[in-house]
Amino acid sequence: MDRNQAHRNRKRALKTLHFIALFLTMSIICIPGLWIVLNSFRPTVEIMAKPPVWTPSFTLDHYRAMFGGAGAGGVPVFSYFRNSLIVSVVSTAIAILIGMSGGYAFARYRFKGKAGYFVGLMLFRAVPGVALSLPLFIVFAKVGIIDTHLGLILVYVALNVPFTIWLTDGFFRQIPKELHEAAEIDGCTRWQAFWKVEFPVARSGIASAAIFAFLTSWNEFALASQLTRSVGSKTMPVGLLDFTAEFTINWGGMCALAVLMIVPALILTFLVQKHLIAGLTFGGVKG
Amino acid sequence: MIRRRLPQWFVLLLPAFIVIAAVVLIPLIFSLYSSFTPYKLTRPSTLWTWVGTSNYEKILTDAKFWTAFGRTILFLTIVLNVELLLGLGIALMMNKITWGQRTLRTILMFPMMFSPILVGFQFKFIFNDNVGLVNNVLQSLGSDSALPWLVDGKLAMFSIMFAEIWMSTSVFAILILAGLFAMPRDPLEAAKVDGCTPWQSFRHITLPFLMPFIFIAMTIRSLDVARAYDIVQIMTGGGPARRTELLWTLMSRTGYVDARMGLANAMGYISIILSILFTIYFFRKLSAARADLGMEG
Amino acid sequence: MTEVTLSNVIKDYGKSRAVHGIDLGIADGEFAVLVGPSGCGKSTTLRMIAGLEDISGGEISIGGRVVNELPPRERNISMVFQNYALYPHMTVRENLGFSLKIAKKPEGEISKAVHEAADILGLDALMDRRPAELSGGQRQRVAMGRAIVRRPDVFLFDEPLSNLDAKLRTQMRVEIKKLHQKVGNTIIYVTHDQVEAMTLADRIVLMRDGHIVQVGTPLDLFNAPVNTFVATFIGSPPMNLIDGTASGSDAIELVGGLRVPVPSNARGLVRDGQKVRFGFRADNLMPEGHAVQAGGEKAELDLEVTLAEPLGTETVLFTDIAGHEVQAKMLNPRPVRSGERLKFLLMLDKCHVFDAASSDAIRG
Repeated sequence: MDRNQAHRNRKRALKTLHFIALFLTMSIICIPGLWIVLNSFRPTVEIMAKPPVWTPSFTLDHYRAMFGGAGAGGVPVFSYFRNSLIVSVVSTAIAILIGMSGGYAFARYRFKGKAGYFVGLMLFRAVPGVALSLPLFIVFAKVGIIDTHLGLILVYVALNVPFTIWLTDGFFRQIPKELHEAAEIDGCTRWQAFWKVEFPVARSGIASAAIFAFLTSWNEFALASQLTRSVGSKTMPVGLLDFTAEFTINWGGMCALAVLMIVPALILTFLVQKHLIAGLTFGGVKG
Repeated sequence: MIRRRLPQWFVLLLPAFIVIAAVVLIPLIFSLYSSFTPYKLTRPSTLWTWVGTSNYEKILTDAKFWTAFGRTILFLTIVLNVELLLGLGIALMMNKITWGQRTLRTILMFPMMFSPILVGFQFKFIFNDNVGLVNNVLQSLGSDSALPWLVDGKLAMFSIMFAEIWMSTSVFAILILAGLFAMPRDPLEAAKVDGCTPWQSFRHITLPFLMPFIFIAMTIRSLDVARAYDIVQIMTGGGPARRTELLWTLMSRTGYVDARMGLANAMGYISIILSILFTIYFFRKLSAARADLGMEG
Repeated sequence: MTEVTLSNVIKDYGKSRAVHGIDLGIADGEFAVLVGPSGCGKSTTLRMIAGLEDISGGEISIGGRVVNELPPRERNISMVFQNYALYPHMTVRENLGFSLKIAKKPEGEISKAVHEAADILGLDALMDRRPAELSGGQRQRVAMGRAIVRRPDVFLFDEPLSNLDAKLRTQMRVEIKKLHQKVGNTIIYVTHDQVEAMTLADRIVLMRDGHIVQVGTPLDLFNAPVNTFVATFIGSPPMNLIDGTASGSDAIELVGGLRVPVPSNARGLVRDGQKVRFGFRADNLMPEGHAVQAGGEKAELDLEVTLAEPLGTETVLFTDIAGHEVQAKMLNPRPVRSGERLKFLLMLDKCHVFDAASSDAIRG
């Protein structure tokens, strides 16, 4: 009897502990982001107040200033947003096309040195952005595509192709090869079999690879900060630094821009989470 | 007609090869070359002076470099281990819960999607000695002195690591969780019946099964360890007084601020080799773990 | 006329040869079954006929037309795969109509053909479901439906029943046979299960190690196996084989000292002293009083039953002749204890003799 009682108590204690630990973890994950969102709606005086004010008031000033254009010390957020969008969307589209065909090659064909090619491609992804930015800066300056959308798009395509190959390889592997054989017997060419059968079946996986590529471009800083410098090509991560002056930082404005960067990322994350995990683990474990 | 058709796989991979060669390989070759010259951005003609390994010699005898190098290794060791342990813990906790698992898993993924620059900014704000959340809370709780989180060298390093861990623990947690989901039930139940304590069954059954997933996470992480550059750059810029200087910030300072490209490229090469070694190491571990479990494709 | 002809067809994978120069003619409307243990080259042969594998040597023609270099879509064939290969993103209706849509047939014609196929296979109620929502048997039926919609010259089946449970397999086997009777096309069917081969085939092609071992009707293979491999592969339980030596030209001395006369079909063909294997099926070794055949030569054997397997209509008895396990059948079963000694009758005119060295049959 006593032993049963003891076990029950222990179980209850563990359950409480489990709950508290989980709650703490989630808080640590959520609070920093919420703090940024909260502060983007607070007037600057309140952010700077000493002693701190804990009952927040509400203002849209930072957003108004942000979208108000470059005047009055404002930051040209609109241009940055547009640049980010153009560069990310175009580079994602190209990277997916190139990466998908590469991933398909790895998933469906046997050839000599396949594993070597695969690891080799991944190693290019491992080159640190800063290290790459030095020579790219010089080469791009020579070619004359520094500070242009084209330059950044090229870089992001190259950056995203290896990882897209990893992911799509995993997704195509999950599709039994009999499917395209059946399609070929049903009268398709290899090309038709791909577009009418294999592509639609892998569609959601490819979409998540695309979103992952998009986010990489959307979030990238190390290369963008060196390869862009004018309003015409700077992306949002680079633009974030505009709020930092020599000694002062416009916290509220930065928070507002941060929110503008996070929201699309969060929405996209929400859409892909399931497939992304599937792609990463399948590609890796069953590789 | 003797024209041989290229194999299809090659045609499919060709665009990938071309774009990577153009944007990564050629610049890398160029930077390898320039790392043997005293190239300065301000004086283009220096590109044609061959100085042999003098840049590398300069680096290898430079205390500043070695400090940054050692700090980078230390930083990576601490950060990756803490991330692994926390990630494992979080995954095990998440695996136990019965309600709202999907929602929590989604929340868990959010930090992964934050731009590193944003993470840096976020924690620069939170650890700000004047208006930051941490100090505000401490002061409201009665502490009267503001802790100089980003000004003191040790505290700054801690803050940066905190930011890095916050951003990347999810990678481990999510992938290990996926491993836990994929894990067959029977061996665990057999172990329970055979009299294993929870710890023993974790140690001898769960953990070996999770190893490939842990190595996938490690491989993915080792692909982008250099993202820490973004965080450091915005939080402290390597300061105060170079106390948080990592290999990557030192390199960018040498290249862009001091305009000594040849020297910076030499450092770049060392950092590239470091990254590649990390990646290869974990890739091999991954293959070995996969082979152990008989999971090869 | 859509006969299929293979002449000297070879398949190499790198240095190893999977199919060694096969010659085979399959007549129009014939149901041919390629059967053999796994790795015997039967699936590879089928996939070469389908155009899914390159042909390393020789020639394949369908309906008198050489198809060696043609892609699958130009061979006018259809195929049912082992794992069905249904398109997961299409409904049953779309799966069935896919091939006609690719061929750009008019809408009306497609829906008519799809409807007909659905009718034949009883799929009407499932038309708007997706493959994931179907049971194994239903998927199997959709896969067959997809094959008939095209009205191909030749149907190819690649182990289509091996993913089904035993009961469903028997049921689908009947449906495939009915389907063949209804549409009357040439069918080439691959399986590793000899029961499927026996029940379905007009003609069985038995393969081993990339060679054809024997081609013939099921009864040919059952009654006149060309070697011990065929004898043990076809029929259940497998044929009993006992080593022996010819003694004179009309008797065989089995190991253990038992002496039997040479069966009539091999009389005069064995040499004195030749090492042979003596074979007979369980059906031809029966306890006295259970034999159905009245006439013919019989040998009497006094054997101990080691194990009895009652199957209802018959009981399989395991006994032992000089260290060889031998199976016998008891029709009109009664309970038998192990250890019981019974008098058995061996139907000598149903026995076979094989050369021990080459394992080929000795038969006139």
